[in-house]
Amino acid sequence: MTPTALRARGSTPQDGRVPPSVQVSGLSRRFGEITAVDGISFEVGESEIFGFLGPNGAGKTTTISMLCTLLRPTAGRATIGGYDIVDDPAGVRREIGIVFQDSTVDERLTARENLVFHGELFGMAKEEIRPRAYHLLDRVGLLDRSNDAVITYSGGMRRRLEVARGLMHWPSVLFLDEPTVGLDPQTRRSIWAYARSLRDTEGVTIFLTTHYMDEAEACDRVAIMDYGKIIALDTPDRLKARLGGDVVSIAGPDNEALAREVRESFEIEPRFENDAVEFNVEQGGEFLPILLNRIEGEVRSVGIRAPTLEDVFVTMTGHQIREAEASEEDKMRSMRQRGFGRMR
Amino acid sequence: MTVEQATAAAEAGAGVASGSARPATGRASFLQVVRVIWMREVLIYFRDRPRMISAFVMPIMMLVMFGEGLGNSIATLPGDIGYRQFIFPGMVAMIVLMNSVFSGVSIVTDRQFGFLREILVAPVSRTAICIGKISGGATVSLVNGIVMFVMAPILGIDITLEVVAKLIGLIALVSFMLTGLGVAMGSRLRSVESFQMLSQVAIMPAMFLSGIFFPINNVPAWMDVIVKLNPVTYAVAPIREIALSEQLKALPADAPFQITHVDWFGYTLSTWEEIGVVVVFGAAMLTIAIRAIRTTE
Repeated sequence: MTPTALRARGSTPQDGRVPPSVQVSGLSRRFGEITAVDGISFEVGESEIFGFLGPNGAGKTTTISMLCTLLRPTAGRATIGGYDIVDDPAGVRREIGIVFQDSTVDERLTARENLVFHGELFGMAKEEIRPRAYHLLDRVGLLDRSNDAVITYSGGMRRRLEVARGLMHWPSVLFLDEPTVGLDPQTRRSIWAYARSLRDTEGVTIFLTTHYMDEAEACDRVAIMDYGKIIALDTPDRLKARLGGDVVSIAGPDNEALAREVRESFEIEPRFENDAVEFNVEQGGEFLPILLNRIEGEVRSVGIRAPTLEDVFVTMTGHQIREAEASEEDKMRSMRQRGFGRMR
Repeated sequence: MTVEQATAAAEAGAGVASGSARPATGRASFLQVVRVIWMREVLIYFRDRPRMISAFVMPIMMLVMFGEGLGNSIATLPGDIGYRQFIFPGMVAMIVLMNSVFSGVSIVTDRQFGFLREILVAPVSRTAICIGKISGGATVSLVNGIVMFVMAPILGIDITLEVVAKLIGLIALVSFMLTGLGVAMGSRLRSVESFQMLSQVAIMPAMFLSGIFFPINNVPAWMDVIVKLNPVTYAVAPIREIALSEQLKALPADAPFQITHVDWFGYTLSTWEEIGVVVVFGAAMLTIAIRAIRTTE
């Protein structure tokens, strides 16, 4: 399949299948003794929102860096829009838009100037640049502030500007590396609303990394990554369905004893989480009375909820997504994004 | 309807037509890339008021401080060239030297604020990026140099338009060479502080041992070696030779020492030969800067 065939947006090849935007096979990257990415393979379809979920250090950013041709893979192959990341990095770079973890806008320029600069750097035709910038600034809700210097922007506005800039040169894939790190929940939701609507109107494939569960839930498909490997890849619903049923949690003065009872009476392997004993069962609501009847140890609280991607992650990897470690870094990043501790 | 509203309306109208439909994608040519990088540097400079104002204040300060203060206590020059007249071309060279080298800091700040990544991930030639950066910084220095000439009559300096026209070309060349040095330094350093320290360390000796403040042919032998190895020497000399061409012609033949022209083991370099050294050094700096940007990140 030639790159030009893939570039014609909206056309479907003869077999009726939409060609994948991103094709990765056996991709690896080693740094000395450490294998950051360990032979991963996957495909991302056109106009899909695809998420990489995993803790910091799982290899998400390394993977994105390789796909964006910023880092050479040690082994394996990958193509984006038909262009090979090793053989034709320039082709790949024209095909993709990138929004990095840290801000890369020029805050001394206005939003519009940042977009125009980008358009010119990517060789867009002159008469095309301004209408395109206008259109995108409108789409991300920055039109009324487009002639203000970016230094006056809030963290959320900067992110939106970066998303708009990433789309400026009509990429077919938009990479978002931890797009909402360091932003407050409301701003994060608004970024998501903008990203979704841009996917719908621009028809762009969105490829993002995240360690936020709610962000991963919003993806069409999620790849769960841990220690450089993809350990599961499916829609969020199907990933959760794999756990089966509901998550039941019970807690008492002696959780160890409760866990032993659960294991012996129901042949279920429970896990310890949030100072409680948790496990998955079908029909949690009907199971709960039976459980409480049969258990002899003291139970002080019971809970029942639908499984989240966090549960999927914990079940598949045996450990949490290390939120604590991430949050310290988030704080630093959010300070940087808001311009604290900088020379003005 | 104001002009701005009209433009906005036109853009909005065009937005419906082409802002949301993907056209055939092109590729930026080498010169387009140079132009857009250059444009940004210049735009940022002209937007920076304090920097603009200091460009006008600097020459007055320099000339008063050095021309009057230093001139009154310095030994008299051969002929009737006043010290103020002598030091003026040196001040021009100094302004250009400082502005050019310091402009390399823009690479460091671009890196610090992340914008360098935006530039480096674009599918464009790194050489074009480098030349754009250098041209931008060189333009800023050239503007500062020109400001010196604009201020010259006010400061009581004797200079003709013809001489200024000749000097502008030369100063553009010198700016390019020295900005190359700044950009090469900037692409290797990670913090503004270390850039500032290093550029001070580089600029100070380059400034004092280049003939900006005193004639180079009247110094002790050990200093003479450093002066001849200093590339800035070869920039100061032709600037002064052109600026003082009238006065130098009137110099008595039996002057105790030459006030300008670099001397290599008894051979006196002509103005063109000195410019040749500037070109060679500039090419070397450009090569180093391009290599530095190519291998960055």
